[in-house]
Amino acid sequence: MMKLHNITLTVNGRRYDLAVEPNELLLNVIRDRLHLTGTKYGCGIAECGACSIIANGKLMLACMILAVTASGWDITTSEGLAKDGNLNPVQQAFIDKGAIQCGFCTPGMVVAGTTLLMENNSPTEDEIREYMRGNYCRCTGYTSIVEAIESAAIHMNETK
Amino acid sequence: MKIPEVIPEKYVVGTDTPRMDGYAKVTGKQEYSSDISYPDMMWAVVIRSPFPHAEIVSIDTSEAEAFGAVVLTSKDTNPYLYNERSVSVPNATFRDRRLLPTDKVRHYGEPVMALAHDTEALAHKAARLVKIVYRELPYVLDAEEAMKDGAPQLFDKIYLGDEEVLVHNNKGVIRNIDEGNVDKGFAEADHIYEAHYVLDRIYHNQLETKSAVCKPEPDGSMTVWCTTQSIHGTRSLIAKLLDLPFSKVNIKKVTLGGGFGSSIQMNTVIPICAALAKKSGRPVKLLSSREEDFYSHHKYPTTFDIKLGVTSDMMITAAEVKALVDFGSHQIQPLAYIGCTAGWFASLYKYGSNIRFNGTAVYTNKVPCCAMQGYGNPQINFAIESMIDDICNEHGWDPIEFRLKNYRTVGDEFWGQGPTIRSIIKTSGVKESLIEGGELFNWKERKPHTEKTGRYRKGIGVARGFHTSGTGGPKEGEVIDYSSAYIKINEDGSVDVVSPVMDHGGGTWDALAKICADVLQVPLNKVGMSPTDTRTTGFDICTHATRGVYCGGAAVEHVALKVREKLLEVAGRIMNEDPKRLSIYRDDELGQGVVYLIGFPDKRMTIEQIAFHAKNYSWGTIAYADSYRQKNCPPCFVTHFVEVEVDTLTGDINMTKALMYGDCGTAINPKLLEGQLIGSFNRGLGYTLYEHIDYDNKTGQLKNRAMMVDYKTPTFCEMPYVKDCMVRVCDVYEPTGPFGAKGIGEAALASVAASIGNAIYNAVGIRFTSIPITPEKMLKALKEKEENA
Repeated sequence: MMKLHNITLTVNGRRYDLAVEPNELLLNVIRDRLHLTGTKYGCGIAECGACSIIANGKLMLACMILAVTASGWDITTSEGLAKDGNLNPVQQAFIDKGAIQCGFCTPGMVVAGTTLLMENNSPTEDEIREYMRGNYCRCTGYTSIVEAIESAAIHMNETK
Repeated sequence: MKIPEVIPEKYVVGTDTPRMDGYAKVTGKQEYSSDISYPDMMWAVVIRSPFPHAEIVSIDTSEAEAFGAVVLTSKDTNPYLYNERSVSVPNATFRDRRLLPTDKVRHYGEPVMALAHDTEALAHKAARLVKIVYRELPYVLDAEEAMKDGAPQLFDKIYLGDEEVLVHNNKGVIRNIDEGNVDKGFAEADHIYEAHYVLDRIYHNQLETKSAVCKPEPDGSMTVWCTTQSIHGTRSLIAKLLDLPFSKVNIKKVTLGGGFGSSIQMNTVIPICAALAKKSGRPVKLLSSREEDFYSHHKYPTTFDIKLGVTSDMMITAAEVKALVDFGSHQIQPLAYIGCTAGWFASLYKYGSNIRFNGTAVYTNKVPCCAMQGYGNPQINFAIESMIDDICNEHGWDPIEFRLKNYRTVGDEFWGQGPTIRSIIKTSGVKESLIEGGELFNWKERKPHTEKTGRYRKGIGVARGFHTSGTGGPKEGEVIDYSSAYIKINEDGSVDVVSPVMDHGGGTWDALAKICADVLQVPLNKVGMSPTDTRTTGFDICTHATRGVYCGGAAVEHVALKVREKLLEVAGRIMNEDPKRLSIYRDDELGQGVVYLIGFPDKRMTIEQIAFHAKNYSWGTIAYADSYRQKNCPPCFVTHFVEVEVDTLTGDINMTKALMYGDCGTAINPKLLEGQLIGSFNRGLGYTLYEHIDYDNKTGQLKNRAMMVDYKTPTFCEMPYVKDCMVRVCDVYEPTGPFGAKGIGEAALASVAASIGNAIYNAVGIRFTSIPITPEKMLKALKEKEENA
């Protein structure tokens, strides 16, 4: 057994005090210790985006982060995007535009779509494609996801 | 307001409704197999072969066991030889695989043994303490080489059903079909065309890697959550391998993170996990890493030699196909694969009814191949549809007219699952899709490649394809096909649908719920798709062969009609009327289905009132359960028109426009249907331009080291822009389908590769007879063309 390190994480507004091994991945801590299984394992090498999370306001991949280095971070996972049972505009648009099939990439997609609109509230189609290209989907062909993000942006700008 | 005597029924079939699992999927709360956890659960690791072919001399697990691991070697497991794909009848199923190999390993990455420990980290540490001695054997990675005398032999004998079969020169399956008079057909032709086509091995790259969680129960049974397209198929094999009655194996229907055919068969990690759970007496979780998944299942590669005879008035008189399949180290039914490929070939055109197909499938020391969206259809379609484009270009014939003269249509025979499953085509949208599609795509203004110059050259191409809807036929054949359903009206008038049918994300469960809602005329939000498992459902063969809606939906429709009959019978007793004079309509104001007396619509009761009465009078639940077999396998059709832009400086091929014109009969979920067509186009694009599985001859390993980073599939950026992805649906009603529906899933991919290949020809005048058409290949071909000019 390696030496354990005490860390503190705030995930979806809740504080967790944990003792982790130095080689534990943040992805595994989120999935197996916090039981927030919306953050998915797809490749383990930052290629697919299934483990996308928002860490301190930035899009990050949980499979590439050692949990010890994340101490003190404020993290939002797909489970934390909806507030009081109300979906955020990106989540709602994914449902409305049929941008979901098997759904395994969907949590990572909505997380990435959310940070995109945090950084750029009116992205062009090219900007959406460029920003989202790190999130892999084998089912949808992406077109409906682009439409969902475009529609979420319009909705957010209208309701601002 | 005057109430009409007969109130029209309202349908949700054909309308867009938010998918039922949408909320769970966007909030990360949808549960997949890999998300299941139990207290006291162990984590398993599979130890895999570091050689492409080797004898297992010895396995020493003593140190791992001393470290606290529970180990599983072939000594602990049932030596029964099985085939993980169980959709065919036993006497059409070759068996060559054991739960764990007893003698030797036959491909790099094949499971040798497994172990489990309290945590994932401890399991990996324990795995390093295992000592396995191998004796390396010569290996073979090429199908032609494998058939030569003296080549390394993978198997001496295997089984077909219960019959022992000797394997010669690694030939696993030979299947020859000859119909009509092929020689006479070629003699009648004015022109003969022959060409060789190479369709590469690719990988499914479904986002969820294969995984299982198995939990031994106190009553001696085993509960399993796993990646599967068939809960009942998985149960029958787990029961056999664990020596348990079916009633003691319960496979849970869990959401699947992408299948594309790779979980039609029971994935190898599932029985390993179950055997470890049985041995340890604790729940066990076994997740494949992406690298392990890369070494678990590939799409069948196939090479074809095609010969077509054509008359000067555009009629094909005969066709001959020789197919060679390198299926890897185990048979996941290349017998069925070859048969199906022959069927897709035979069903594409009439060929004067003169066809010959010679198929050979060969063992090599590679990952076993299995179905991947189309089961031979995208492969043979590329060959035939490319050749037809060449024929038309040579003679200046219109490819649309040529296809309309030769395609199999209403009244013709269609082979839905190889030569033994045939039915007569009743509906076809082919003509509509070719003619209307041509107009939408300005087909007639297409210029030949000779008129194109400059660095960037655009071209447009067309190809058409299809797939079956299910594997039913008037007569039973090699492939089993039926589904089941149980539907009950609850005491508040809501409805539970209990179905064994798997949904891979295409929206099958939404379709089943809509079919039930419309038969019973209840609002969709009153229909629940029950979480089910093998214990609570009747048999369903598998969600494969584009049969989810056509066959699974038909079972739901059949049972819902019986429930409707019972409902009217119960209503008749309460209302004191002849049930034959009662009907139902959906009342959206009440949010209820309402039963009424035809001609006297004021006399009515809501379904809630009827169900409530039936309960209070102790008449029992209004429910029905049954199995149902479709006796047809109607083809669903698709036509692709595409535009590409070739950069002659870099060899890059850019997809600028695509029209996907589908015939699925009634579109039950229109928006989700669009997703099927566009998603399939995307996968077809990857197949045509980017993806291939490359083996290193020096090591027998994958050249990409099983890393996703070196296996490029299309991202957001390779698709045409949203406005340039056009989808159209034919106006077709299939009389044998639920509410007129056929399938679409696999058809949607069938002609993508050929349409792109044909568009590339139209852009630069180069015919590619193998895919993927990479920039390197394009540049080489452009250079050769220039040198020959």
